[in-house]
Amino acid sequence: MKRHLQALAVLLLLGAVKLPLEEATTQRFRATGLLSTPLSLGLRENLSQMGFAASLGGLRSLVATITYLQAFQAWENVNWGRVDSLFQLTTSLQPRYTNYWDEASWHMAYNAASYYLQDEKTEPFVRGKLSEEHVKRGIAILKEGLRYLPDDARLWHSLAEIYERRSHEPRLAAEAYLQVYRITKNNRYVRFAAYQYAETADPQLWKKAYDYLRSSYEKKSQRTPSLLDTLKKLEERLKIPMMQRIPDQRKPMEIAPTELGPVK
Amino acid sequence: MSLPFSIPRIWTLATATVTQLLRMKIMAFLLVFCVIVVAAGFAFPVMNPEQQLKLLKDVSLGALQVFSMVIAICATALLLPRDLEDRTLYTILSKPVPRFEYLLGKLFGVLILIGAGLVIMDIAFSAVLWLRESLVLAQSVAALQQEGTATPEAISQIKAIVGKQGLTWNLHLGVVAIFFKAAVITALTLMISCFASSTLFTIVISFLITIAGHGQGLIREYFLTGQAGVFKKLFSLLLAIVTPDMAVFDIVDNVINGELVTLPSFGLMTGIATAYVVGYSVVSHLLFVEKEL
Repeated sequence: MKRHLQALAVLLLLGAVKLPLEEATTQRFRATGLLSTPLSLGLRENLSQMGFAASLGGLRSLVATITYLQAFQAWENVNWGRVDSLFQLTTSLQPRYTNYWDEASWHMAYNAASYYLQDEKTEPFVRGKLSEEHVKRGIAILKEGLRYLPDDARLWHSLAEIYERRSHEPRLAAEAYLQVYRITKNNRYVRFAAYQYAETADPQLWKKAYDYLRSSYEKKSQRTPSLLDTLKKLEERLKIPMMQRIPDQRKPMEIAPTELGPVK
Repeated sequence: MSLPFSIPRIWTLATATVTQLLRMKIMAFLLVFCVIVVAAGFAFPVMNPEQQLKLLKDVSLGALQVFSMVIAICATALLLPRDLEDRTLYTILSKPVPRFEYLLGKLFGVLILIGAGLVIMDIAFSAVLWLRESLVLAQSVAALQQEGTATPEAISQIKAIVGKQGLTWNLHLGVVAIFFKAAVITALTLMISCFASSTLFTIVISFLITIAGHGQGLIREYFLTGQAGVFKKLFSLLLAIVTPDMAVFDIVDNVINGELVTLPSFGLMTGIATAYVVGYSVVSHLLFVEKEL
């Protein structure tokens, strides 16, 4: 009996000592990205009992792969609702894996949105509405992903592209491109942001775009045709004094063949 | 008269345990594992290269975890009852072998078996991953060349993307983390089998504690947040004290995504695993030393 009590005492002592140590280790591992945040109990409603137990038992990555494959299958069957809900599960299980967020938003903002836009069985007004809603859903997915991965250039880039090409919100696209620049320090994203600012209707943002592009112009290697073209347009719109404008681009002379004289 | 501690005696008991377990055809799982790895490695060729490699890693490392946990619980739970049934236990303990050496021999035997199994599976998995990575890279570069976009920058970007999901040393540290978890489960199961009345009881209780251990973070939060009543808090505290935190060893999920295991983090994990193995072994000894056989 004495030994049993000693055993119990050792067990309790071990438990009392390990508790703060484990808490500190868990916090440290979460901060360094080695451990994910604990599963929300709400997930249990969506995952099967087996899936929930497995993901709790250290097989989160494997369960996420299974739900991802199910989403892939749902995509092949053009079941957009199921694609969305399965990707929600997948990203909840592995929120720190960029590819899942990126792919989930791509499915919604591009594939599902285009599908509804071209769905001839639906009324034109409804088509546009459904398409717009799916683009918004794609944006919401990326924003959620960026809560977990605020310094992920790929997610910011995808967000910028959706704002630019799908929802046509140039100011927001520019801000997202500037975030990509903040992370990658690649100057082309400043130019991309400037092109988007130039697309807005706000003269203050035109000025911002002009400043960005003008500073890029100073570096000869960055004088791309788009940069020169946009700068010229902005100079006109902002009424930049002639002396401060960049030189006009040289255009090759175009002469119609009919206007050419006989070769002598 | 107490006998001096003898490492050769423990080693003899450990190797005998390995032989005993091998005769139970436990390593047949290795064959199953190889089939799973090869299937996962070459299935779903329509997915993007990054995802194909991730799938291979997810499935293989998941299988490694399942293997190590199942062997740790089932093999350890079988050891003491089998020795009692065969009367091997009486033969061993009638010789000048202290009971704690017998327990340590059994524990190390299971750990050697799990460790060897993990090494073999890690080698098989690494070989398939390396092969798959080379194939995926070659396919991607060939696709770029076909499109006429195979610039040095594009090729190096593809190499970086594929390489991040390919074979790295970090993945082996993930496998070591799986071994640590299996070691804790083995020590825990051995402790339970020292007072359990049947093998089934040991297996069921060990599985339950292992599952509860994976949710220990939630239990601890429940205890620490202070929203629950006194009884619920006391119960959650007791659970948190009694169950080991298995989630600390679950770094493999994020290692797959390219997170790096730093030396201090690895040291912490090693320390926690060692503390559990030593602590549970001491409790096992206290329970087993006066057990009527």
